[in-house]
Amino acid sequence: MDRGQWPDKGEVEELTKEFIAESQEGLERMELCLTDLEKRPDDGELVAEIFRAVHTIKGTTGFLGFARLEKLAHAGEGLLGALRDGRLAVTTELISGLLQLMDGLRRILQTIETTGTEGERTTDNVDGLIELLLRLKTAEIVAMEDPTSQKRDVGHPYQLRINAEPTSQNLDAGQTALPIVAAEVSATNSSTHEKTLRIDVEVLNRMMNQVGELVLTRNRILRCSPGTEDFPELARRLDSVTAELRESVMQARMQPVGHLFNKFPRMMRDLAIQCGRQVRIAFEGQETGLDKSLLEAVRDPLTHAVRNAVDHGIESPEERLKAGKPAEGVVRLRAFHQSGSVVIEVIDDGAGISTKRVLAKAVERGLVTLEQAEAMTQREALQMIFVAGFSTAKKVTNVSGRGMGMDVVRSNVENVGGSVELESRVGLGTTVRMRVPLTLAIVPALVVQSGGQSFALPQSSLVELVYVPRHEAEQMLERMGATQLYRMREGLLPLVWLDQLLGLEPSAGVEGADFYIAVVESDGRRYGLVADDLKAPEEIVVKPLSAELREIGVFSGATVLGSGTLALILDVAATGARAGVRQVAEVLNLVSASQTQSETAQIEMESSMVIYESEKRGSTDGGGREQMAMPLSAVERIESVPVSEIEYAAGRAVLQYRGELIPLEDEDDILREKSAQEGSATVTVLICLRPEAQGARRVGMVVRRVLDVSPGTLLAADAAECKQQLAMVKNRVTTLHREFALESDATPVAVLGEVA
Amino acid sequence: MTTAVELRADASSTVSICSLRVGSGLFGIDTRQILEVLGTTTPQRVPLAPEYIAGVVSYRGEMLTAVSFRTLLGLERWTGTNCILVFDGEQNEERFGLIVDGISGVIALPRDAMEANPSGLDARSMELFDGVYKLPSGLLVHLDPRKLRPSRLAESGLFGRLNQERQGEPR
Repeated sequence: MDRGQWPDKGEVEELTKEFIAESQEGLERMELCLTDLEKRPDDGELVAEIFRAVHTIKGTTGFLGFARLEKLAHAGEGLLGALRDGRLAVTTELISGLLQLMDGLRRILQTIETTGTEGERTTDNVDGLIELLLRLKTAEIVAMEDPTSQKRDVGHPYQLRINAEPTSQNLDAGQTALPIVAAEVSATNSSTHEKTLRIDVEVLNRMMNQVGELVLTRNRILRCSPGTEDFPELARRLDSVTAELRESVMQARMQPVGHLFNKFPRMMRDLAIQCGRQVRIAFEGQETGLDKSLLEAVRDPLTHAVRNAVDHGIESPEERLKAGKPAEGVVRLRAFHQSGSVVIEVIDDGAGISTKRVLAKAVERGLVTLEQAEAMTQREALQMIFVAGFSTAKKVTNVSGRGMGMDVVRSNVENVGGSVELESRVGLGTTVRMRVPLTLAIVPALVVQSGGQSFALPQSSLVELVYVPRHEAEQMLERMGATQLYRMREGLLPLVWLDQLLGLEPSAGVEGADFYIAVVESDGRRYGLVADDLKAPEEIVVKPLSAELREIGVFSGATVLGSGTLALILDVAATGARAGVRQVAEVLNLVSASQTQSETAQIEMESSMVIYESEKRGSTDGGGREQMAMPLSAVERIESVPVSEIEYAAGRAVLQYRGELIPLEDEDDILREKSAQEGSATVTVLICLRPEAQGARRVGMVVRRVLDVSPGTLLAADAAECKQQLAMVKNRVTTLHREFALESDATPVAVLGEVA
Repeated sequence: MTTAVELRADASSTVSICSLRVGSGLFGIDTRQILEVLGTTTPQRVPLAPEYIAGVVSYRGEMLTAVSFRTLLGLERWTGTNCILVFDGEQNEERFGLIVDGISGVIALPRDAMEANPSGLDARSMELFDGVYKLPSGLLVHLDPRKLRPSRLAESGLFGRLNQERQGEPR
């Protein structure tokens, strides 16, 4: 190793770092090309691309003095050269060999990155690999003359070598050496990508400009004396510059989901060979941007879902043919933006999940009783897959066909404020849908107060809010053992008093005061968090806490509120766990009321909706009223507003709401009706976030009466019949407000039983 | 403050000490180890945190964990004005703050005048104090911020237990 000759060690390190980043990118391209090459063996462009990647590594590594890496790259280059010149034919063995070459290169690169040297020869089998590459090169030439000798010549000697390795699993000799490789891919990939990021120079320039603007504004603010007239203008300017800067920084952090998808063709190929399936992978929406840290966070859950799809979802070719499907299964990875979050779906066209088997296992494992299982809908049954106890046992996986570690998938995704849904139709396939926020750094949250302190609750875990006046508290609260319960509609909701849990001094007169219950749900725990007061919803900037405070477990961070005070951000799942709230499936065991079961279990599969009353559309007699609904996610708050506070601008009703002017929509002419009454009349306004081209805008919907908040099932829309979406809420057909309709996409949304 | 540091840092035989008041005692920390001194700030209390952690304060876009020196000494909670000394993190450690009652000033002391902790000191003081200077006006206890890191305090166990005892007592 001749690194010592370099006078400037720092410079070498810098070069090495750059080299590693470049090589990683090259290898990523190579990986994609290799899987493509298998499908299109005659594509010379692909071979050239792979050749370039290996060639670049070889060139630079010689310069940096990593001898073993160079040797390996050289061997690879030789083989690829032969391939490029048409002296070799593309075969499965060749592709496997090249994939192993890629893994070998990756392994050494990773060693260099972590230790600074390329490691000893004992740690990996570079020599064996080189031998294989040479063998491939010469053997294939022989093979062209004598195709039958190919297999014996190429495969076995190297396989024996691999089998002798301590890390290898026991493979039968007929199988290729792929599983070892597959196991190492994930380990190699995860660490290297977090440290570097490529940014569009355009974005960087814009950021620099905005920082310049920020400095100028600061200069002016520093110089202006208190009470200066142009202070409001400066504040506005600061506001806009900050918003712009924030947007550019976010943009810089955004990475196309495609980066994540890229590794799947390879994984899929290995898995398919291993499991004896024929699988094709298809992508959609690779360009969808997602924050870098989130991209890392969904990497594992997504891998898991894809693995499940191939392993358990797609049937063997024979079974598929028998079922009248093409022998080759398709796993689709689809990403898209949907109202402030990114949705990533893994869709397979496999066998689907048989709820009967799931339930049988659930009963067998004592998770539910037989009676409960019989009463369950298909959705509830599917939900069982997410229960921790359900998935750990191996035999469950074999029988149910799915569910290995789905609880882990769910908790991983929920950790970053996302959610996981599962849809399945027997015989048609399964869809795993992960929904993650665009960014973690800034999240919408509700600020609550308890024991004189402010806490922020992430909106993602908030289900609904209940105001409990003093005089109702007595009759609505029940006690069972040490747990306090709230009678919510038909069910019982466990309550957690925030001040008691955190050991805060109770605020004055808590016994008799009105209070609020924030119904929250995370990680399968659903409970009511009791707080003294609710403050405004705010977009909070999440700041991590120091290690000592993270250890407490209940707080996921802290933030500075608009008022300048600090607030701790509650980790809803951990808070529930600390308070001893059980996960949903366990609740199922305890509470026998069937209504509660359906409410707790369904909530994740369906959308919660705000139901309100409206005039019947299209009827001229004005007599009838119908039930309308709006997704709860779109409703920020339900306000009771005195008619006198509503103002009119250019003929349109507007409302001053928390320092913002929001337009009011009054489809049923309730305002005119109410203002005709005496002065003290109030109207109910739903403060909604309406998705628009640029983000979302608040709008107030004037409604006659809010009826309830309830989970509803979206009905499969018969487009010809009705342009509006319909949902089944509490066994009544309900029309969804057209502007806030749930995105139904192209995929079948409603799954109504196993009949299909 | 910074100018004082720069001027005195050159004189190798003397060390400039920022003297602090906590309760009735006088303490000192090498000025070079102090990153910044913040004026009266009320930290946001963190429920369930060890007693010696007064809370978090927002400092340059970070959440700074603030250690209450009064609590470490076993004194009553202080409600008057305070100062927060910010210390930089070393290696992988995070920045942290130390809340004291106030700062008296900066004094130059001969480097070799510091004496080790006397042997009869109780375990807690041994853990907290670094040494002592004998000033004409009384003793100045020298502190080493490294000994006051939240992570270290948590490890030592002495103060973790203190917290538990405290919580057990009726308030």
